This record gives sequence, C-alpha cells and structure tokens, in this order.
Amino acid sequence: MAEPIIKARNLGIKFARTRRRKLSVRELVISRGKRRPQGEFWPLRGISFDIRPGEAVGVVGRNGTGKSTLLKLIAGVLIPDEGSVTVDGKVAPLLELRAGFNEELTGRENVYLLASLHGMKNSEIDKRFDEIVEFAEVKDFIDTPLRHYSSGMKVRLGFAVIAQLSHPVLLVDEVLAVGDKQFKKKCYATIEKMLADGRTLLLVSHNERDLERFCTRGLYIREGKMVVDGTLAEAMDAYNKDTDGPPAGKPGARKPGAKKPAAKKPAAAKGPAAKPAAEKPSGDGQAAAEQDEISSAGSAGKK
Amino acid sequence: MASRAVAVWQRREVLGLLIRRDLKVKYQQSILGYFWTLLEPFAFAMIYWFVFGVLFGGKRTAPPGGDYILFLVSGFLAWQWFNSNVAESTGALKKQAKLITTMKVPREVFPIGQAGAKIIEFLLSLPVLVIFFFVGHGHISKDIIWYPVGMAMQIVLLTGVTLLMSSLNIVLRDVERIVRIFLRAMFYLSPVIYPYHLVMTHAPEPMKIIYELNPMVGILQLYHSAFFPTEFPPTRLLIMSISGCLLILVFGWWLFKKLEPAVLKEL
Repeated sequence: MAEPIIKARNLGIKFARTRRRKLSVRELVISRGKRRPQGEFWPLRGISFDIRPGEAVGVVGRNGTGKSTLLKLIAGVLIPDEGSVTVDGKVAPLLELRAGFNEELTGRENVYLLASLHGMKNSEIDKRFDEIVEFAEVKDFIDTPLRHYSSGMKVRLGFAVIAQLSHPVLLVDEVLAVGDKQFKKKCYATIEKMLADGRTLLLVSHNERDLERFCTRGLYIREGKMVVDGTLAEAMDAYNKDTDGPPAGKPGARKPGAKKPAAKKPAAAKGPAAKPAAEKPSGDGQAAAEQDEISSAGSAGKK
Repeated sequence: MASRAVAVWQRREVLGLLIRRDLKVKYQQSILGYFWTLLEPFAFAMIYWFVFGVLFGGKRTAPPGGDYILFLVSGFLAWQWFNSNVAESTGALKKQAKLITTMKVPREVFPIGQAGAKIIEFLLSLPVLVIFFFVGHGHISKDIIWYPVGMAMQIVLLTGVTLLMSSLNIVLRDVERIVRIFLRAMFYLSPVIYPYHLVMTHAPEPMKIIYELNPMVGILQLYHSAFFPTEFPPTRLLIMSISGCLLILVFGWWLFKKLEPAVLKEL
C-alpha cells in the first residue's frame, strides 16, 4: 500500500473552558489565581489515523465534537498541544470560502490575490481566469468591488479559485451547504473530478447523501475521541445509533426537545465541572444550535 | 528564530502580495489617496511649527544647519511612520483572522507584511521633506547618509514591535488602549519637536537615563543629524539605541512564537 499522505499520531488540542479566554490587565493584577478559567477541555485528544493518497474520508460527529478543529489541525492553521499531524504535500482548504478576500478590491483583483496567496503563478491564473469567472457566474461583476457582491457570489468566487488549485489534499468543511441547487451541482461535479484525479479528500458534513456520494471511509468522532475508523457505513451507523437512540431528532419537536440533548449529555463538551451552566447567554444559543443540527441531521437520515 | 526568518523569506512572495494588497486598498482613489499621504504630515508639521516654533520660541532652539521647520520635519515624518505603524500593529493579526485561519504560511508574514506596507507609505511621504528642505534653507552634505541609517534601525525596531503587539493584543485585550496613551507620551519623550540637548541640560540625572532607554531617541537624532551635524548622537546613545532595536526584534519574535498556538486558537 502507498505511504500515507496524512499521518496523525495521538493528536490532541486543548482550549480553555470559558469562551472569554482573553485576559485583561485587571484580571491579571487583581484576581491572581482567584477566578482562573475553570479548567480546560480537549476538543480532540488521542486521535491517530493514516490516510493514503486518493482516499475520500468523511468525518461525522455532533456539533462541537472537534471535526472542524481536526480539519484545521490538518490544514496547519492550528498547532496541536499533543501529538502530531503531518501532511505530505500542499493542502487546498475549502474551509471558509470568503477568507482572504478584500472587500475594497474588485473581483478580478481578489481572484489574483487569493490564487497567488495559495501559490498559483500569475501566468497560471491568467490562463484559468476565464474558467474561474465562468464557474463563479460573476462575469458582469468581475470589475466591481467585492463589497457590492452578495454573500453567495463571494462564496462562489472563493470556491472557483480554490477549485483551480492542484494541491493533492482537499479539506472540505460544510461548504457544500451554501449556494443554490445549481451551484451545488457544479461543486459536486468538481469534487468528483478532483477525486478522479487521485486527490485525497476529507469531508466534514452532516448531510448523509453528500458523505455517501464521495466518501468510502468514515471517521466518527464523539466527545473528542475517535470512536469509529472504518467504512463510511460503519461510521454512519454508529453515529445514527448514538443520535437516534433517544428520540432526539423528531421533526417539529424542537421546543420540547430543546433541553434534552443538553441534559442528556453533560459530558466532554459541557464538562463535568460546568456547574454554572446558565451563566452566560451564549450557552443557551449553542444548545439551541446543536438542537437544530440534530433535528436536521436526524430528518436527513430518515429521508 | 533564524529558521523562522528563513521560512518567512521562502514565502516572500506572500509577503509581497500582502504589502501590495494593503497599499492598493489604501491608495485606491490613486491621486487623492496619495494626496492625503502628503497632506497629513504637512498639516501636522505646520501645526507643530506654529505652536512650538512660533509660540513657544522653538525657533531659537534650532541647531545650526537650517530653520526650525526643517528640524521639525526631519524628525516628524519618521515619527508619523512610527506612530501609525505602532498604532495599527495591534490589529495586524485580528484584522485578517479569517485568512490566517485558513492559510498555512509562517504566521509572521502577516505582521511583517503590515510593517512593510508602512515602510512604503513612509517613503511615499518623503516629498514633504524635500519641500521643507528648500523652505527651511537646508544644506546637502555627506551627513545625509545618516537618514537611511536611521531608517534601517527603525525598520528593525518596528518589525519587532509589530510582531510583539499583534500577538500580545490577541491574548491581552487591553494592549490596544494602552498603546494609544503610550504613543502620545512617547511623542513628547522623543526629540521630535525639540532638540535632544535641551533634555540633557534641563532634566535631572535619573530621568536622562530613562529617557535614553527609548530607542527612538537615538534614531531621531540620526535623522536630525542628516541636516544638522551637531545633532549626531553620542556613541553611548547610538549603541544603546542599536541594541534596543535588536533586543526588541528578538524579544518580539520570541514572544510571537511563544504565543502562536494560543493566538491561533483565539482567532
């Protein structure tokens, strides 16, 4: 078998528990050690895997279990606190498609900026420019400053540029959820073409159909630990069993169910030491968001 | 640090792109954009000239070599550069958080790129100096060489400060505010509007030492001495200033490296 292109060994990263982790001078001076951030938690810990060139791997798990963090670690934009991850080759990140654009510059200037930031030569961009514009469907606005673009247009342009990169590893995080149907179709076709070229794909998604479409292998992450590393079906089964088991995802059961997952899962993400749970309003927001996620994932599973 | 410097050098095309982007955004309305770069130091120079030169009699304190206005401008342009670089350094990482969290490059390129754009802006403001060179009856001599020497030192200093401030501000959010006060104090504690020897003759002994710890003092004296030869810094001050610049560069880079994992989590 070929040498792995991505190697993760005992990978772990910790975050401070409180969202507001920044210190202010007042805290430093006045309350030394008194109101320390209540501990830390590990969104990911002890993760090891090998991914070989050409594999298409789907990463599944509930919100806040470290899937995106994993992708960022692989992309090299987060530094692990434990273990290591090495990638043999460049990475094309489809993580946040609008990243790197400047609102004041025109679409054309932004295409050149982003593409060259990711290592494309100017001559190469010249050659592919028309294709990029065509793909993004922004031909009439290409010389308009980006601040006049709709968010959909920016995302399309971002995808169109990154799709032109010839980097061997492709990291995709939920971006397929944006854009209209027609654009989604084009994205699918592009990703399929890339896979056919022998590129390696890591896909984070809650959409079972997307995962099944591209991925053969699945990683299921629960509470920061790798639970399943096998075929996609195995990972999805384990994931669905965990989320469907208790009646969590009944469509329309949003209100009464809202408290359930939070109560059901006082473990890792929320943590054992999270006594002042309702301390900050953001906690509620997050719980609600997670609930949304579950119901949509659940209903997607039932289709 | 050396290996990191090499890594940054290897990605210098990214550095160039970031600098070009910053300048492009700044000078987008090309003619007017550049006009403001000249107008701002020009206007401030006139204000300081009126207040400190005319009202407070600064004109009499000008060393031989030219008028007070030339003395003022020879230091003030560089001070403007220092001021705007330091004031904006706290946002160097925060401003482009999204890009930093999707792109794998040595993270130093972001603050260094911002400092680089400031160098170009400073160079673009130099016509103001040329104007006041003639207005202020300046003389050209081989001493002019000290001007670029001062610039070289300031580049080292500002690279260090930008690395330091950009990362520190992410984990310690008060930095931004402190910097503003600090800069205002620094302006009066550096020989921009008054000559250095006034401090040396009037200030009490311990204050002089604190005063000279500021690396900008030696640098500004180099700028002044390009036109006013008597202002050339004493060897002791020059050595202190050079070591100060290098020390801040090393410390800034070290701290940046140290805070990098935390900064990335926070962005």
